[in-house]
Amino acid sequence: MTKVDKADPAATPTRPMTETTSSRSGRVVVIVLTLLLALLPLARPLIGQPHNYVLQIGMVGLMWVALASSWNLIGGFTGYISLGHNVFYGIGGYASGLILLYFGLSPLLTFPIAGLIAVVFGFLVGLITLRTRGPAFIISTIALLLMVGLLFDNWEFAGGSNGLSLPLPPFSLENVKIPFYYAMLVIAIGSVYFGYRVAHSKFGLALRAIAQDEIKAEVAGIDTRRMKIAAFSLSAFWVGAAGAIWGYSLTYLRPSIFFTIAIAAEMVLMSIIGGRGTVAGPVVGAVLLVALNEVSVSQFGSNELNIVVTGVIMLIVLMFFPMGVVGTLRERGHLPGFLDWD
Amino acid sequence: MTHIIQVAILGLLLGGVYALMASGLTLMFGVMRIVNLAHGVFIIAASYLAFFLFTGPGWDPFLSLVVTMPVFFLLGLLVYRMFFPRIEESPRFGEMTVLLTFALALIVEGLLSYFFTGTFRSTSPSYATEAFLIGDLFIPKAQLYASITSLILLFALWGFLYFTRTGYAVRATMQNRTAAQIVGVNVRRISTLSFGIGMALAGASGSLISFLFPFFPNSHWRWIAILLSLIVLGGLGSLKGAIVGALFLAVAAAFVSDQFGPTWSPMTFFGALFLILLIRPRGLFGEKARVG
Repeated sequence: MTKVDKADPAATPTRPMTETTSSRSGRVVVIVLTLLLALLPLARPLIGQPHNYVLQIGMVGLMWVALASSWNLIGGFTGYISLGHNVFYGIGGYASGLILLYFGLSPLLTFPIAGLIAVVFGFLVGLITLRTRGPAFIISTIALLLMVGLLFDNWEFAGGSNGLSLPLPPFSLENVKIPFYYAMLVIAIGSVYFGYRVAHSKFGLALRAIAQDEIKAEVAGIDTRRMKIAAFSLSAFWVGAAGAIWGYSLTYLRPSIFFTIAIAAEMVLMSIIGGRGTVAGPVVGAVLLVALNEVSVSQFGSNELNIVVTGVIMLIVLMFFPMGVVGTLRERGHLPGFLDWD
Repeated sequence: MTHIIQVAILGLLLGGVYALMASGLTLMFGVMRIVNLAHGVFIIAASYLAFFLFTGPGWDPFLSLVVTMPVFFLLGLLVYRMFFPRIEESPRFGEMTVLLTFALALIVEGLLSYFFTGTFRSTSPSYATEAFLIGDLFIPKAQLYASITSLILLFALWGFLYFTRTGYAVRATMQNRTAAQIVGVNVRRISTLSFGIGMALAGASGSLISFLFPFFPNSHWRWIAILLSLIVLGGLGSLKGAIVGALFLAVAAAFVSDQFGPTWSPMTFFGALFLILLIRPRGLFGEKARVG
């Protein structure tokens, strides 16, 4: 199946590499958006009572932005689909949670440490799983997810399948959402900015070369193995950090929160809907799906049909728009400037 | 010593069923390069069918094979025709099949849990709790019958692949799709048929596991992870590899379960997968990886 000449969602060269800045309006939009998001917690007088709800939705949205953008690094740029990426999410959550329980340090401070632990774990796993490619790699990521899930289910130190309760955050009920919101904002911005920098680096170019044709990339002198392992483990950082904040915001940790395959499914879906291998794509996908989920839960309630909806959307996108919103628009030359973040 | 033999026998008996489950998956990968992540959920769906035939008209799970196999065969033809021709030309076909069947798996799982809830189910024919005693050895009837049925089906599959013209065409397509097309094999038809056969095998497995393992909609992820580990271990697309892998790992899992408790038995499969990736990434009987 080597038909690289065809349009390829993962490997479409986005821009000539000489052009290192995004389109002007794209940059303006990103800056304005960031400022608005940063000011949102101060808008209580404007929003009134539902303010905490708005902040909660905002935090969830930002979390998914971070998860999808990070997944995009390995699944989009490099073309290696990981269906077990929420392993890092759980590891980050547990790492910070355990640090809080045993050393009393707040996850709001230790989330970078959780990210680093996830990176180290990703590096060790990558050494093994990235010895293979294509379907076998994907399979190994699923096996990884189930394996780690099983370990945490039975690891008494981490509470087993009952999980751990964390001490309540020391904030008043009224303001409790604000620190979590800001932490997630930092993580989301960090992950998108990181994706942007990678896209414009030699490293990113190497990853795209691997996605297009790994053998040719190797022949061209790229140390593909090192690059892949680097992409895999670096993509774990913001995922682990997001897991740390999310776990603390729930005030309890349980394997079933982190290690279910539905979370991996969402990460993949958001990235694909928005457009794999683009900077704006995962952000667009995350916003679309979080909004859709909010609507569908309020309309139909939260039940088993939610994953049916996820599956149906995924099927439609794969069959009709495999390049996602940003990818398809760009291919047709209709990408509005404000969505052009590459 | 008796204990060791006992554990090995129990493992081998389950291994036959694992081999049946993995054979459908391997056939699909071998012929069409489809990694079918929905294989597990279709097995579970077939278990539900067997369950309702058992609780409703009171059919024995073995009798339900005559329903589950044809139903899933037809479903397979339908699923193949609906989804796969459209992505055939995709530059990243392998990856597309994973994502597509992943989406399918989510849909079927969601529908199953919506209609049948997440409760554990299993069929309970009288032999499910009985056993033969040979000397000191204890041979559970359910496992024995299921294993014999699996072997018969695998044997039939082998006969089909090696002694019929259509079977030759299937094997030719497995070896080289383009070359098969050049010598006049209708590859599209063979692919549809193979997908149907793979699904029929899933249907049969569903009937068999309905009384071996309690099931609920979400349990298919564990199954698919085990089966996929198995076929990577055997070498993707190698039927021989899948069967040897299944028997070998099922015995290993039986010993793990005996030593550390049944919770850890899936770990055998995942551990073996990582081990094989470390020492021989292409699997036991896999061909050397080709470009693309």
